[in-house]
Amino acid sequence: MSQRITIDPVTRIEGHLRIDVEVEGGKVAKAWSSGTMWRGIENILVGRDPREAWVFAQRICGVCTTVHGIASVRAVENALDLEIPLNAQLIRNLIVIAHALHDHIVHFYQLSALDWVDVVSALKADPVKAASIAQSLSDWPGNSVQEMRSVQGRLKDFVGKGQLGIFTNGYWGHPAMRLPPEVNLLAVAHYLQALDYQRRALQAVAILGSKTPNIQNLAVGGVANAVNLDAASTLNMNRLFEVKSRLEEATRFVQQVYFPDVCAIGGMYADWFKYGAGVRNYMAVPEFPTDAKATKFDAPGGVILNGDLANVKPIADWKDPFFGKNVTEDITRAYYDGSWDKHPYDETTDPKFNAWDPAKKYSWVKAPRFEGRPMQVGPLAQVLVAYARGDALTQKWANRCLEVAGSVAKAKLGPAVLESTLGRIAARAIRAAVISDLAMKHWGLLAENVGKGDTAVYNEPKFPTGTIKGYGVHEAPRGVLSHWVVIENGKLKNYQAVVPSTWNAGPRDGKDQMGPYEASLVGNPVAVPEKPLEALRTIHSFDPCLACAIHAHDAEGKEIAKVKVL
Amino acid sequence: MARVVVLGIGNVLNSDDGLGPYVARTMQASFDLDGDVEVLDAGTPGMDLLSLLHGAEAAVFVDAVRDAGAPGDVRRYDRENLLQASTRAAMSPHEPGLREALLSLQFRGGGPADVCLWGAIPENLELGTELSGPVRGAIPRLVEGVLAELRRLGIGARPLATPRDPDIWWERRAAP
Repeated sequence: MSQRITIDPVTRIEGHLRIDVEVEGGKVAKAWSSGTMWRGIENILVGRDPREAWVFAQRICGVCTTVHGIASVRAVENALDLEIPLNAQLIRNLIVIAHALHDHIVHFYQLSALDWVDVVSALKADPVKAASIAQSLSDWPGNSVQEMRSVQGRLKDFVGKGQLGIFTNGYWGHPAMRLPPEVNLLAVAHYLQALDYQRRALQAVAILGSKTPNIQNLAVGGVANAVNLDAASTLNMNRLFEVKSRLEEATRFVQQVYFPDVCAIGGMYADWFKYGAGVRNYMAVPEFPTDAKATKFDAPGGVILNGDLANVKPIADWKDPFFGKNVTEDITRAYYDGSWDKHPYDETTDPKFNAWDPAKKYSWVKAPRFEGRPMQVGPLAQVLVAYARGDALTQKWANRCLEVAGSVAKAKLGPAVLESTLGRIAARAIRAAVISDLAMKHWGLLAENVGKGDTAVYNEPKFPTGTIKGYGVHEAPRGVLSHWVVIENGKLKNYQAVVPSTWNAGPRDGKDQMGPYEASLVGNPVAVPEKPLEALRTIHSFDPCLACAIHAHDAEGKEIAKVKVL
Repeated sequence: MARVVVLGIGNVLNSDDGLGPYVARTMQASFDLDGDVEVLDAGTPGMDLLSLLHGAEAAVFVDAVRDAGAPGDVRRYDRENLLQASTRAAMSPHEPGLREALLSLQFRGGGPADVCLWGAIPENLELGTELSGPVRGAIPRLVEGVLAELRRLGIGARPLATPRDPDIWWERRAAP
């Protein structure tokens, strides 16, 4: 007998996601991923000035704002072949770094940890033992006995009042929850600390970008931060050091709390290294340029097919035609008029809705393809590509993670285990640790360059008559983001954003190939169909920027459960 | 961080959902506020709300709200309304972010004790950059509502002698 579980919209207006899974014999047999809201915001941009596109692009998504601004200015600069000053590259890098640290910390503690950590069980913990476990993981000052005791006391007050507040919707006591009470308690303590440290990372974004959630300092041609070490209203010495302090605080939290927690908890759930691989083609684009011309990068790009790390193909830079020529979007199974697979420059966005039909069209999300293949993007793709390309920093953190998780699990773990649900969560922590090391490096590069007296931040764009095309890429927290522009006589003629969650959450294509969300769910265990916690773990491991909920159906289509996912 | 924050919430590319940012920008352009207060177009902040609320003692939100009534009807909700676990149907399109931020701060401690939301019922949340007639018509009442909250919180507001045009950049048409 098979049962169907559906994951359907909750409320966030930026885009909703629905997942349908058919469960048979305690496992997922089939899965469909559907976007249930039309975005099509690209259509608003046609006819506008390319210099202001980034302001609109930042509002495409309510969850990831900064990243669309970055990709948009890079797209127009790419079309113009416009170089930007070194300071501008580095200031953008620092914004990207600080934003990513914030985003990854929030994903683990606030958005996904409670799939693995049983908050209610923490009430039974021995605080002394919890502190001693925490202290064995790192010498973080927030691991004291007092801290554990105080957090447990707060939790008791909360539960004692008969309401769980923020923890209301968790699967407390679910058979798939397996951590000892002490580990649950230390995770809750770190959950609370994460609220503070993610904010510090965001403060760095706000100082550099003038504001969050929508930064204001970007410009086609560079950034709008006047740099003068001695002037009050500019990016001066004082502000630079404030950025440094915030980045240092976030770095300490990542390296002493987030990374060790993920490795240790990962080791206790090591069987989850077996589930959720799904699409084993991976893609990452180069990020963190260290020169004005963007020829050298601190995070390499590339493509891996079928998990074959030995044959990684590099994406050398932001102009590499290997990327630019091979991306298409397929609408065979999406609610758009027609049935084609087109390059973004040639795409149209003409909505044509029909009732959800898994045999035909069933999603508002298009299906992006690379050389005709579905690709998985995100921290896992980035870590595997960097690892395969020999990036020392990535190898250092990845090996350390596998070593710690392996010693907890009493097993030898190689990079191949990262191709899994748990591996995606581990890879995000590895990427956060890599980026935290890059934070100080890029801050130093900026301080050094400004110290030399270079204050240039902007090169004025000049638009030719006639048609030009370009694309801007960004390795965002959720993976490869690309914006594609066609500009005619200085006005936008076409604008397409191919976003990370489209790569991962997209539907099947004309060849019936599943997207990464869909493929990763197949074979996933589901112990209690009314409480599909395991399916949530796999979907959450991708860090979906679309809110969704789960409905469970039996084979006759009768709903047996509806579950909210954020 | 200011003691009082006024946060206009919403996606300006979803028609009436731009209400919150519109009201925030209108207030910035029209009033001189006394005291420790900050008025912001916060867009769709999600988890950024935790930062925006950090250290604030009071917060006034402005947003499009889902509730029974006609488009343009103005509603006020207090902290209890916003936190109620039973109100599973969202009152505002950004309710998960808002409610979860308040709940997180409730558990952590240190969030604003005084919280309210002024909103209007939207007519249209489709892709688009303009407010509908009924929602545009609700703006003066929402501004009045926010000013009343500020007075209650001891913050004076004087209309600017020469108000500026609010910067509603998303409504500007592409140049021909």
